[in-house]
Amino acid sequence: MRVSRGARYLAGAAVLMTAVAACGGGGGASGGGGKAAADAINVLGCEPENPLIPADANEVCGGKVLDSLFTGLVEYDPDRNGEPVNAVASAIESKDSKVWTIKLNQGWKFHDGTEVKAKNFVDAWNWSAHSKNGMQNGSWFADIEGFSDVFTEDPDGDGPQKAPEPKSSTMKGLKVIDDYTFEVTLSHPVSVFPVKLGYTTFSPLPDSFFKDPEAFKKKPIGNGPFKFVDRKNQQYIHEEKFAEYKGARAAKVNKLNWKIYQNEDSAYADLVSGKLDFMESIPPSALSGDKWKTDLGERAISGQQMVFQSVTFPMYNKKIWGNAEWRKAISMAIDRDTITDKIFNKGRLPIKGWVAPGVTGAKDGACGEFCTYNPEKAKQLLAEAKQKGFTPPAELKLFYNADRGGHKEWTEAVANSVTQTFGGEVKMVATPYPTFDEFRAAINDHKMEGIYRTGWQADYPHIENFLNPLYKTGASSNDGLYSNKKLDAKLKDADKEVDPAKSQALYQEAEAMLAEDMNAIPLWYYGLQAGHSPNVKNVKVTPFGELDVTSVELNKS
Amino acid sequence: MSDPTALQPGPVTTDAQATTESQATAPVGKPSSLWSDAWHELRRKPLFIISSVLLLVILVMAAFPQLFTSVNPEWADLKKSLQPPSSEHIFGIDIQGRDVFARTIYGARTSILVGVLATLASTLIGGLFGIVAGYLGRWADTLISRFAEIFLGLPYVLGAIIVLSTLAPVSSDPSRLRIMVIVILVMALLGWPILMRISRSAILAVKHSDYVMAARGLGASPMRIVFRHLLPNALAPIIVVATITVGSYIGVEATLSFLGVGLRSPVISWGLAISEHANYLRTAPHALLFPAAFLSATVLTFVMLGDAVRDALDPKLR
Repeated sequence: MRVSRGARYLAGAAVLMTAVAACGGGGGASGGGGKAAADAINVLGCEPENPLIPADANEVCGGKVLDSLFTGLVEYDPDRNGEPVNAVASAIESKDSKVWTIKLNQGWKFHDGTEVKAKNFVDAWNWSAHSKNGMQNGSWFADIEGFSDVFTEDPDGDGPQKAPEPKSSTMKGLKVIDDYTFEVTLSHPVSVFPVKLGYTTFSPLPDSFFKDPEAFKKKPIGNGPFKFVDRKNQQYIHEEKFAEYKGARAAKVNKLNWKIYQNEDSAYADLVSGKLDFMESIPPSALSGDKWKTDLGERAISGQQMVFQSVTFPMYNKKIWGNAEWRKAISMAIDRDTITDKIFNKGRLPIKGWVAPGVTGAKDGACGEFCTYNPEKAKQLLAEAKQKGFTPPAELKLFYNADRGGHKEWTEAVANSVTQTFGGEVKMVATPYPTFDEFRAAINDHKMEGIYRTGWQADYPHIENFLNPLYKTGASSNDGLYSNKKLDAKLKDADKEVDPAKSQALYQEAEAMLAEDMNAIPLWYYGLQAGHSPNVKNVKVTPFGELDVTSVELNKS
Repeated sequence: MSDPTALQPGPVTTDAQATTESQATAPVGKPSSLWSDAWHELRRKPLFIISSVLLLVILVMAAFPQLFTSVNPEWADLKKSLQPPSSEHIFGIDIQGRDVFARTIYGARTSILVGVLATLASTLIGGLFGIVAGYLGRWADTLISRFAEIFLGLPYVLGAIIVLSTLAPVSSDPSRLRIMVIVILVMALLGWPILMRISRSAILAVKHSDYVMAARGLGASPMRIVFRHLLPNALAPIIVVATITVGSYIGVEATLSFLGVGLRSPVISWGLAISEHANYLRTAPHALLFPAAFLSATVLTFVMLGDAVRDALDPKLR
């Protein structure tokens, strides 16, 4: 699961490109910077939060890099709105949605030359799920039988007690049949299981990983279309084409450089001048007055993404959490239409539910009137909240990260909207954390003294992905510690339902239940405003709002 | 000042002599006082007149912003976001839908307050150390001067960023008063050595004057010498530098706020307004240019005023 950074940064240091190209080219002429790097594309990246291990990336910065380094059992076809198609797997079959037999294609190789076999998947999943390894996405394996034997939780959260030692290092639901077949037994039927398998967390890991995970962290070895070359913190991650790639979607460029910028406006300036080849998030300052369309002309790309933005209430902080009326009052005091119109120049679209439109099973309107700006009703709800014994804080802080993503403008606009709706009775103040890392650390430590911005980018295009990881009790990205037994039960029913249509309907019912508690206020989903340089062609953007790194090509000039 | 040269320096002290000495320093010689002389000179300087009128306007703006605008600077009508100047909003509207004119007027208070208070603080600190260093000389002078050089060696903005981001990290949420006090103290902390040097050299220049010798010879206490003889005569250069410093401190405040380490929203300040709209320069220049113009005008006013006062106080420059 990925916490969306909202906007991601690219970097463009022509000097670096030159240096790399010169090394690779065996001392070729390095004159005229641009030319020397002619086989590399520079894409906006951002600093991954964790080492590049597939199961440890639950934010977009690590996720986008890992997506290019690994190919899973299935992949999401960008040409078909992200529909899953088999990649390493040749067949994924089940009669009851509970026992799945997975057959692999032969001949897939890791970047170190070893073959991708069934045990690479089984070992990787066992390792990633094992709680002692502390993978961010360990809970993604929770559906597999025997998960509780390898994953134990700290009984008192961050308290002094330690999590008990897991009973086993393997899950009994995973069984290698032969080199190219394995069987997965789930603890209960999960109809969307094959859809999930394209998510990076389910990637295979090479044998060398288990011998020396530390070396792997420094130089990840995957089986994807690109292989890792080197990285420098806060500056770049370099990759090159993997020549022996077996998949249908092999890379067309020789080198892929993720460039990391500290500021998206400078990334944008580089995009306009051609030092950066792709950027998937045009900053608000350039969206203003449609400046970016003038700047980029035909190189501007608009669309929509499966990225959802919300404001979350921490359930662990009673002074902020209050009651449902209070949270609904805040929601109804936010003028989403005007904010998306003026701050984002319609680059984001107001949402009336918790699931981004366009994904399988999405149904608009789950939030209904509570996600509509209505100052009168908001005041009424606030009065009701107070009647029920809740005293709103004198100042309600809305936290955001100041470093990237362009969140300052909209958080201030939301704060103004709320403050003015309540005539100063509730004063909302947008309060920044200096960096995304510090912001996420405070959220993950459950120390928020106010409400905070949250974003969600789909890992796979299914309604389930917008609900289970975010709102189920104890889920990996349920950072507000929301817990609702009825919702948990409904989600479980939906997970079990074998019929896809019925299952989706159950998820929709679960989504509608979120409106009762309003633990996260839906704001809008992201339109896509991307742009590319004149140096590249055939630029496609995946439904996840990322560059399709395999189809992009360089212009031969 | 009447001429005290008739007195012999020496340890002889009598009541009569002491009386003569105190009479001598009393401001009796009206026609020849440095200050009245300077005032006379200043009144005829157009530079001084222009800058003091401007200063007056700025001060009134800072003290009573309501006189200039009835619009609430916090009120945001997002629907009007980034509207260009019109008859209704003569400076236009900022990104959050607030009136730029009102925010520019209200921003004066913050800038003036920070500039003046920071100057006052650094003048007090610097002045005190300068007098001690200049008057005592020897090891005290060496100690204070070297100490001041440590601070002088710190690049101003870099030092301020480090101190501010430690004392008031961006994630913390200090109250408006607290953040202002911190910013003022940081500016004073880093700015006092300049005023210390000025006052030290001013004291050194008058320290060996005959009248000081005389006072010392007559047994006047160090306090009396400093406050009755040294300070009044060393004040002129300190005032000049302080006036110019106000201007530069206002600029520094804007710089720090622009960099995100100084004042922060919801405080209304010119530096913040510039910072918030730097990215919209191409689409909505008005939101940045008006506060920037007021900032420059204010800094210029103080610098011009300082210049005029210096010219008047320093007869050699006439």
